[in-house]
Amino acid sequence: MFGYVRPNKAEMLVKEYAQYKAAYCQLCKTLGQEYGPLARMALSYDCAFYALLALSVTGGAVRERRARCVCNPLKACVYLEAEGEEYKKAAALCVLLTFHKLRDDLGDRSFFRSLGSRMLLPYVGRKARKAEGRYPLLAQAAAEAMEAQRQAEAERAGVDPCAEPTACLLGTLFAELAQPEDRQRPALERFGYFLGRWVYLMDAADDLREDLREGAFNPFIRRLGLEGKRELAPEERQAAETACNEALNATAAQAALAANLLELENFGPIVRNVAEKGLAEVQREILFLHVKEKPRRELEKL
Amino acid sequence: MTDPYKVLGVQPSASDEEIKDAYRKLAKKYHPDQYAESPLKDLADEKMKEINEAYDTVTAQRRGGGGYYNGAQNPVGGNRNSGFSDVRSLIMSGRIADAEQILNGVPPERRNAEWYFLKGSVLYRRGWLEEAKDHFSRACQLDPGNGEYSAALNQAMNQRGGMYGGYNPNQSMNGSCNTCDMCSGLLLADCCCECMGGDLIRCC
Repeated sequence: MFGYVRPNKAEMLVKEYAQYKAAYCQLCKTLGQEYGPLARMALSYDCAFYALLALSVTGGAVRERRARCVCNPLKACVYLEAEGEEYKKAAALCVLLTFHKLRDDLGDRSFFRSLGSRMLLPYVGRKARKAEGRYPLLAQAAAEAMEAQRQAEAERAGVDPCAEPTACLLGTLFAELAQPEDRQRPALERFGYFLGRWVYLMDAADDLREDLREGAFNPFIRRLGLEGKRELAPEERQAAETACNEALNATAAQAALAANLLELENFGPIVRNVAEKGLAEVQREILFLHVKEKPRRELEKL
Repeated sequence: MTDPYKVLGVQPSASDEEIKDAYRKLAKKYHPDQYAESPLKDLADEKMKEINEAYDTVTAQRRGGGGYYNGAQNPVGGNRNSGFSDVRSLIMSGRIADAEQILNGVPPERRNAEWYFLKGSVLYRRGWLEEAKDHFSRACQLDPGNGEYSAALNQAMNQRGGMYGGYNPNQSMNGSCNTCDMCSGLLLADCCCECMGGDLIRCC
């Protein structure tokens, strides 16, 4: 369930896009420094967004630095450095979430399909313990959310209770960015709650067809009355995706309301872009353009 | 007090018109009605107050003048004929968990339209938007004429349409205009002409 929280590039200023890229590169570099070069594979848009939000809430000083790309020595990269803990926290989050995802795959998939996860797990597990040592609160919140998630799915609960653990996880993570007495803490928590809910629902909507085919659990299946179906006819599929889109819209509307109340420094415009336009664009790409099913050549024309 | 111009997001050199514009935009953004069902209502009210104060200060500095915002209305209001006045007051004071506990204790045969509406309100505040919508629709089914219930359902349905966040598939992007829009536009223009006695497109 990674990579859904990202800005709508077409609506960004050139300078904002450059900042976003530089922060992304910085996070990649931090991941390598803290958890070893292989850990860079855990990099995701979501964690980059978390780092940007953290920097915007704390208002930590940032400065640009040009250097070689850590992966491709021929490429020049701009890095956006910060003194504080923000990037390190985001890096820890990347590692922890990847660890839980791999463990999840082990439970859900057959032996051969999870072979890759099985081989990676000991390595990632070591890194996750390292992250846990540094940020016990983050690790605990993530572990609790995953446990609650497993339980909700085992009970075959409805859409709302299934989305609750992810929603609460992001709510906790975002609230923790502000000082306890900061007046915008409730708004941050609410923003995190609905963003987490949106991520969970987006992932469920994205996986709907695959889950139907494999007979796996998906909270939308019962909600939309699709039990027992393996394949969806085109019009059934469209109806299902429209219904998912409505649930996502309601959630995004609440996230935008909470984001309105945030007082953000540094990358405020990027955070707002994500909340107001980025989520909408991801919904459009996945539910209406079906970008994941199209070959790359066709995508370039879009 | 912070700089009122900064609160409104305008330069001190801005014209009266620009300030009014900025105020309107902000007032729309933080309008308490939007946050009526949200725990962030206090924060939104506070913001609204700041904006009002800043706007008042600026206009007073520039020779005074109107633009006051009238207080918000909370959809879960007091209701004289309510069978659940205790639940209503709990919701209004933000004690959602207590309200839910009382509601869950109501036996199924006593669950009327108001029960579904209040349970929906509790779920909505918690962020359980899907079940909230289901409860609001049930309340409207049981008591179709009730304005309070249909207002709550309408708000939930509007947010699902993508006007307030998310993606609205029926909205033409970037204000672009496709062939269908052009044809229907021409047809409408023709109808208007015919109403006034003229004719734009002879064949229809």
